[in-house]
Amino acid sequence: MHYHRPQNINILQELLQDTNREYTILAGGTDLMVEMRQKPLPAEAHILDISRVTEISSIKEENNQFILGALVTHQQLAESIAIQKYAPLLAVACRQVGSLQIRNRGTIGGNITNASPCADTVPPLIVLNAEVEILGPQGTRTAAIEDFFDKPYFPRIKPNEVVTRIRFKKLVPHQKSAFFKLGRRKALAISRINMAAILQVDENNIIKEVRLAPGSVFPAWKRVHEAEQFLTGKTANENNFNEAGRITSEEMIKISGRRWSTPYKEPVTAALVRRTLMLALEQE
Amino acid sequence: MNIIGKREKRVDALGKVTGAAKYADDYNLTHQLYGAVKYAEFPHAEILSVDISEAQKLPGVEAVMRAADVPGNNCFGLGGDIRILADDRTRYLGDVVAIVAAESKAIAQKAAELIHVEYRELPAVFDPEEALLPEAPQIHTNGNEIVHHKLRRGNIAKGFSEADFIIERDFTTQPIEHSYIEPEAALAEPDEQDGIKVIGSMQNFYTSHKVLAGALNLPLSKVQILQSTLGGSFGGKDESATMVAARAALLAQKTGRPVKMLNNREDSVRQSYKRHAYKLHYKWGCKGDGRIAAMEIKIIADGGAYTSMSPFVTWRSVVQAAGPYHCENIKTDVYAAFTNNNFTGAMRGFGSPQVNFAIESMMDELAERTARSPLEIRLLNGFETGSVTASGQKLKHKVSLKQVLKEAAKKSGFEEKWNVNREMEKDDGIPDDGKRNVRRGVGLSCAYRGVALGAEGVDAASAVVYVQPDGSLSIASGIIDMGQGAQTAMSQITAEVLGVSMERIRFLQPDTGRVADSGPTVASRGTIMGGGAVKIAAENIRFILEKTAREWFALNDEKLIFKEEQIFVESQTEGLKQLTEFDVLVAKCYAKGRPLFASGVRHIAETWWDEETGQGDAYFTYVYGANVAEVEVDMDTGKVDVVRFWSAHDVGRAINKGMVEGQIFGGVAMGMGYGLLEEFIQENGVAKTVNFDEYYIPTALDMPEMEALIIENPDEKGPFGAKSIGEPALEMAAPAIANAIFNATGKQIYNLPANLEEVLLGRKLRRNTPRASVSCKIGPVKYM
Ligand SMILES: Cc1cc2nc3c(=O)[nH]c(=O)nc-3n(C[C@H](O)[C@H](O)[C@H](O)COP(=O)(O)OP(=O)(O)OC[C@H]3O[C@@H](n4cnc5c(N)ncnc54)[C@H](O)[C@@H]3O)c2cc1C
Repeated sequence: MHYHRPQNINILQELLQDTNREYTILAGGTDLMVEMRQKPLPAEAHILDISRVTEISSIKEENNQFILGALVTHQQLAESIAIQKYAPLLAVACRQVGSLQIRNRGTIGGNITNASPCADTVPPLIVLNAEVEILGPQGTRTAAIEDFFDKPYFPRIKPNEVVTRIRFKKLVPHQKSAFFKLGRRKALAISRINMAAILQVDENNIIKEVRLAPGSVFPAWKRVHEAEQFLTGKTANENNFNEAGRITSEEMIKISGRRWSTPYKEPVTAALVRRTLMLALEQE
Repeated sequence: MNIIGKREKRVDALGKVTGAAKYADDYNLTHQLYGAVKYAEFPHAEILSVDISEAQKLPGVEAVMRAADVPGNNCFGLGGDIRILADDRTRYLGDVVAIVAAESKAIAQKAAELIHVEYRELPAVFDPEEALLPEAPQIHTNGNEIVHHKLRRGNIAKGFSEADFIIERDFTTQPIEHSYIEPEAALAEPDEQDGIKVIGSMQNFYTSHKVLAGALNLPLSKVQILQSTLGGSFGGKDESATMVAARAALLAQKTGRPVKMLNNREDSVRQSYKRHAYKLHYKWGCKGDGRIAAMEIKIIADGGAYTSMSPFVTWRSVVQAAGPYHCENIKTDVYAAFTNNNFTGAMRGFGSPQVNFAIESMMDELAERTARSPLEIRLLNGFETGSVTASGQKLKHKVSLKQVLKEAAKKSGFEEKWNVNREMEKDDGIPDDGKRNVRRGVGLSCAYRGVALGAEGVDAASAVVYVQPDGSLSIASGIIDMGQGAQTAMSQITAEVLGVSMERIRFLQPDTGRVADSGPTVASRGTIMGGGAVKIAAENIRFILEKTAREWFALNDEKLIFKEEQIFVESQTEGLKQLTEFDVLVAKCYAKGRPLFASGVRHIAETWWDEETGQGDAYFTYVYGANVAEVEVDMDTGKVDVVRFWSAHDVGRAINKGMVEGQIFGGVAMGMGYGLLEEFIQENGVAKTVNFDEYYIPTALDMPEMEALIIENPDEKGPFGAKSIGEPALEMAAPAIANAIFNATGKQIYNLPANLEEVLLGRKLRRNTPRASVSCKIGPVKYM
């Protein structure tokens, strides 16, 4: 097994230009090491450990934007005062990942690239309209987060590409947000369903804009445009949120059909839509 | 008393917090080989041939063994049907067809993959009820019924005819994993005289000893088993750990070199036995005033591939299935059946958690139907001193059921909370505030439990106490410490008898050559039996010390007092007078040619049982406990949070209050896992939850605020009156939680665990895999 550990972004880029190799990227290792135990890498594998590339390990603010290095950990995001203030739903999501040990190692780049259906940062990044910056042999390209996935476990990324940054606009004060995670226990629980929402209402409590993205509900992540359209222009209240929930569950069944998990997911998805929107509405 | 009851520091604490404690895998020897196993590829198949030629050729491989290569007995266990190596057939996917010893773990693993087995697939059965049907595939030679226990009391036809109404319910409980943190491991070493020495992680090392000697074809004296510090067991390191040790020993004997056999988590889950899944049918004939006129109970337990402890586990169920409640007419039938699932055996609780869930759920329904509170209904029907149990045993000790119930109810404010929640539950059912749709509930449960083995076995334990010439002590016992604190309890008992501090005492590593066979450390018998034995040993030492002191100080029958490392005499005129120090008296004994080495044996034989009628004095004494759980149920998702918990237990006497609390808190955690989260899932014999990423146990964050309520009614059978707490602590937690959910939602739970789907929908959801029970075949199976 070959192991490479570039010390900065230039060396990383040089390594990526060697297209004879197919790299396995290692960031925090909290997904990769688990997979390697179950299915060891072949002897000829090249591990590219990006954890020392310090240029992509911090949270930066530029004008009204956040620029997150791919190596930013869940714990960094959970603790960041700026994130808590301008993207609170992401801080809430990251605070609920795994356990402290996992949050200290696991990175946001790893979370989205691993692309597990229960990845907790993906729904928040989707409603934040995040963009993913990807470095490859030919240089940098960007992709909208919603276009970053074919479906869970299949990110649209080529063998010699590395996610370097994730950017999104800061929320402004009248944009309320919420994230809700349903797990079977209070720590070290993968999400059964998770849900992210951003909600903007005017002084008459009329919804001007809403973005809603659930996880583990649709076969691929997407916003629930049907529910969003229903809500836009309506009063922000429990009744309308309930209806948005019903629409979301209906959409789920329309896309995936009735499956073994539907008897549970149908009512619960609807309830969590209502709950997440209520949480957003009443966000301090 | 000076030391009994105190929160003395655990004797094993320092080693465990510093890392000095040596668990089985911490032992290594030069030139040791590593073992690996070749697993069954079908849950049920005839083994036609096992080709090991390729594996043997791999460089670094020192031995490959099949069942035919075992020099002695390949079969062991209560039913004599557990195979160290599968011979005629595979009966579950954890069966091992062949084993390898090689220079490295990787080579051994590679060699195992090169073993080719030819099978003839057989139809398999995975449901114990189906297994009992005449057309079911036969897993062993004498039918699939492992055991059928009966209990007949009074006349149920008459009882039901006198009843005002009937409650009839079906319950199911799931198989669960012991989840000991340390997986099984053993290191076997050939000794200088053709013998084998094994150090490993075993709960019942006397049993392992006999199995290994039998398999190796050696006398017991040539097999020595040393017990390493155990990283948890909970009843789980009996046959599963013995298999691992036996495989290591066979390879060591064959190669003449030390062999380490180590399970990783997936191996451990795949091979080891689980808690029995039960299907329970309860039918009660009830009177309008809340009394029970008749009970008819039928239970079917999934025994899995082998007999293991099924006969004993289900025996405890038949004894306790009617609960600590008066009823004149009872008919109980408990069956255990072979299936091609993982075999099932001993686990903390041992046949009681399943029946307690059913009984206590029935009790709450009875309360509901007769408009009484759960506390009232239990006080109305519960046992008192002198009551007669379902098996016709008159309870002559102090029966404290009502005391523990009242204590738990009072401390938790049960009655008031229960009433308030019940009113809320009858509300409109519309979510209160959209963000949180939560209802509170409290639930009560209680149980009684026979202490120690009861009429299922010979109950005797031994211990040795040695006061060395300088006054320091060593203790050896046949009861082992798997983390529950047995060594600390036995040290405290010794220290109390001899009036010395705990610092003097060192506990010796359990060794089959050191102390007489004491039976297994199970059935919450560690303190009452092991503690009883050590007390007798210490008293034997004290006898020599007293005799020497009387001679030395020319005393007659004055009372001698041993405390604070000194010996006092009590005289009517002068009060307490110091005679000498413990060390000095010890030296005096040695000077007089009286070495201070003594053993003690505690044997209690006051039980009997009639298999035909299920009548008899099942256990020599019983313990009583009551639990109250307070929960919050998320009505949108079915998520249950246990927010507070009260656990009251009559332990006879708490030898160490801190450790009793430890047992209670740990028991609640485990009972909560059983009640809400845990389930060992198998689909057509294939384990789906093979590691802790999928098998959920509660984390520290899930634990509620807990209160341990220790009640002490000393029992004449126990050392200083001590009885037990290990299993009681766990066995009634799940029904308290289930009843709390009932109080919150108005819906009863009939199937454990009460996970999200069960609470919301009243059933479990499963992927739709075609079921292969009884008739159809399934393909070869590989994990990972
Ligand atoms: C016990 C435990 C609990 C967990 N709990 C949660 C949870 O609650 N919620 C949750 O969402 N996740 C959870 N996870 C999963 C995991 O911790 C997260 O997905 C984490 O964010 C992964 O980041 P990492 O840096 O450790 O990724 P790695 O393991 O280093 O990498 C993961 C994958 O992404 C690739 N990769 C990593 N970084 C990049 C990059 N910059 N560019 C391209 N490819 C890259 C790797 O090649 C690999 O395929 C848990 C994991 C464990 C072990």
